[in-house]
Amino acid sequence: MDLSLLQALEREKVLEVLQRDKLLRNTEEDRIRKLKIELQEIRRKGAKNFSLQYSERTCARCQRPLGKFWNSGAVCQGCSHRICNRCRVGVSNLDWKCTVCHAYREVKIKSGDWFLEEKAKKYPHDTDSHETIGEKLLKSYQRLSQIAVVPPTPPPYYGSPTFNRYGEVKSMKKPFTKSMEDLMFSITSHVRKFSKSQEDLRLKQELLTVDKSRRPSIVQKSFSDTNINTSVINLSNVPSLPNLFKKGKNDDHSCSSSGGDEELSQSSENSELKRGGSFRSSGADSGFHEVSSVTGELELTVDFNDTTSCLEITVKCCRNLSCGDTKRKKCHPYVKVSLVLETTRCIKLRTPVKRNTTDPIYNEVLQFPLDRSLLTQSRLQATVWHSGTLKKKVFLGEVVIRLDGWMFEDGTAHSSCWYSLSPKPECPEGGAIESSSSGELLVRMKFSSLSQPTWDCHTDEVHIRLHDVGQLTVVVVGAKNLPAKSNTSQNTYIKGYLVLPGPRELVQKSPVLKRKPGPEWSHQLVFSKVKPSELHICTLNLELWDHTPFTRSDRLLGGAIMEAESSWRLVSQAPNIWHDFTLPVQTNAHGRRT
Amino acid sequence: MFSAVSTMTDGDYDYLIKLLALGDSGVGKTTFLYRYTDNKFNPKFITTVGIDFREKRVVYTASAPNGTTGKTFKVHLQLWDTAGQERFRSLTTAFFRDAMGFLLMFDLTSQQSFLNVRNWMSQLQANAYCENPDIVLVGNKADLPDQREVQEKQAKELADKYGIPYFETSAATGSEVDKAVITLLDLVMKRMEQCVDKPSPDPANGGGATKLEDAAPDQKKCAC
Ligand SMILES: Nc1nc2c(ncn2[C@@H]2O[C@H](COP(=O)(O)OP(=O)(O)O)[C@@H](O)[C@H]2O)c(=O)[nH]1
Ligand SMILES: [Mg+2]
Ligand SMILES: [Zn+2]
Ligand SMILES: [Zn+2]
Repeated sequence: MDLSLLQALEREKVLEVLQRDKLLRNTEEDRIRKLKIELQEIRRKGAKNFSLQYSERTCARCQRPLGKFWNSGAVCQGCSHRICNRCRVGVSNLDWKCTVCHAYREVKIKSGDWFLEEKAKKYPHDTDSHETIGEKLLKSYQRLSQIAVVPPTPPPYYGSPTFNRYGEVKSMKKPFTKSMEDLMFSITSHVRKFSKSQEDLRLKQELLTVDKSRRPSIVQKSFSDTNINTSVINLSNVPSLPNLFKKGKNDDHSCSSSGGDEELSQSSENSELKRGGSFRSSGADSGFHEVSSVTGELELTVDFNDTTSCLEITVKCCRNLSCGDTKRKKCHPYVKVSLVLETTRCIKLRTPVKRNTTDPIYNEVLQFPLDRSLLTQSRLQATVWHSGTLKKKVFLGEVVIRLDGWMFEDGTAHSSCWYSLSPKPECPEGGAIESSSSGELLVRMKFSSLSQPTWDCHTDEVHIRLHDVGQLTVVVVGAKNLPAKSNTSQNTYIKGYLVLPGPRELVQKSPVLKRKPGPEWSHQLVFSKVKPSELHICTLNLELWDHTPFTRSDRLLGGAIMEAESSWRLVSQAPNIWHDFTLPVQTNAHGRRT
Repeated sequence: MFSAVSTMTDGDYDYLIKLLALGDSGVGKTTFLYRYTDNKFNPKFITTVGIDFREKRVVYTASAPNGTTGKTFKVHLQLWDTAGQERFRSLTTAFFRDAMGFLLMFDLTSQQSFLNVRNWMSQLQANAYCENPDIVLVGNKADLPDQREVQEKQAKELADKYGIPYFETSAATGSEVDKAVITLLDLVMKRMEQCVDKPSPDPANGGGATKLEDAAPDQKKCAC
């Protein structure tokens, strides 16, 4: 299935719909992420205290004691734990679940996971059936159209490159009721009022054929959705802005090979304290793979030992892990625990490998020397790995625990908890655990201020208004001293987020760039509808992504932020000219899913 | 049980439910959805290019078993519209897979569009997320009784064979439009609960009213 069978104009129409769908999908992904974080929290709070499990006389959720005959609790159908009356949710005395099982069920429904599971039953061999067709089509189209999506030249008048697929559509969503036909309907009814003839029929046809040159200008200004279509079409005929994007110097990219890096990561795992510097994300290890579905749980105890001034993590055991090597039916799991302090310091410790088991028992105490006062700024990340042959690791799941809310006094710390393992992308903090600054992005940006006529549509009336809006154009012209791992990647792209007060966020993405000697994403990220007054309090996040076609999600290589008011002032006070900035790259800045 | 919500604040909803309208070109899918989301009628025929969708937010009140009304939830509906034309077929049927429920539409003033319902059923069986998805059969343009070519009894029989609800609607007057969509939404909401409550390892036998396989309509009887 691809879009190549359609005529160009039809394809643009369909793409416009797919872009709208993507906006909805983004909202949906955020919502689901929140749901799952909440679930994690409920699980954490209501995890069975296993140190007391053999007494069997406490409620698994609230740990309140249960009587022998009186208030003796009952076994939950979902998890088989003994549960007191208070920790049950359900329709009747017989039909109930414990709070954790209930929350799990709710999330499964509300996140739409039920649907993905049903779909996977029918299409068991379709490994990416969690992606919608719309998503796939859009992605494949974006790959195909790399060449076509060169920087657009502004249309002849009012100088607004309407090449703004995300931001523009998003902001147009509100005033109009979103369907192609509506838009046509509202415009045609409007035009009828002015030109009181069969004009509207002709106009309608022209809209359908998106013939820019013959279309009355009245329509051209009217709605961005069509503009998007036309601008995309025009792109292929437009020369790129030649002198803007000079080739960046091929800086010493070969300084470190990935092999050396792997060694570094191995040694750093050997129970050593490391400060600052070159931590690599566990997710970016060179022999890194992820199991197709993360399952199972990890049992940990978190405690602070005042005598030794150590945070003590007892890795007890795991259960129901996914098999690390499905082909050979082998699993040799180990657990790695990283403690992150103020995002600059990171301590990593790991357990030994247990062989041939998906239910390993470790009972290993990992001690992190640390001043107690630093606890509140710390986070723990526990990752489970399968240790494969030839240093190949397979990621089996992770748990992120914030220590800021952790009560080390009240005894909860001493009890162990089961944590369910999550796949990487579902845990937004996961990638942020190890962070360091390396390399720089050379960024060029321009703010164009313009007074633009926009159309508002109220039922049948159409009003023209002038809005004082501007547009921010950002070009990543090059990169310097990027970490070695970004050199090993084949296809990179830049994703830009402009966060405005409101809060409003505009997203732009460059096409995927095939590996070249020096990465340059000479693609303009255009953020539209930015008011000059908003500019100096906004934040621009630029993320460098590695597009990995065969994995579930793309890999974040690093990110850079521009938020300094002084820089923004420079851009807004001297509009319509290019400004250059050098932004430091943080590897593994807060990752987002693509 | 459902009522409309006026605001569509981003992300502030409990369920995203994706429904899809299918059927021959010209039966009124686009007009029907426009009526449902905006309560308006557009008499012009504008061919849908490939696919499109509309959105609407409704409030769902879960009914407690003791008869009292239960919790309310916000449902964000994404209503996919498809082109009925043959040349878009491979594109539109690909989208069947991502919908949770289906509005299978025909035109009461076109016998041909009714005969094609069976073909659309096969398309669904082949391309939907499961073999027996939730479907509502919709005979549209009920406001044109003089031009009617499909009798209610005939359509009802077909729907019964498939074990799916049937509605005669008019996108022009709005009659039964909401009811058809809401019935489908209700089926999907019930399906979600079923799916998580009895994780039957054999999906073919696991719940759901529609049985496409057993219900292949009797050719002699229907092709009258
Ligand atoms: N009288 C009447 N006309 C309708 C009704 N529904 C749709 N139409 C008309 O039928 C034509 C085709 O409708 P459309 O929604 O574009 O069909 P689609 O191809 O299935 O999307 C349009 O001219 C509509 O105005 C209805 O309920 N009653
Ligand atoms: Mg249509
Ligand atoms: Zn309890
Ligand atoms: Zn339970």
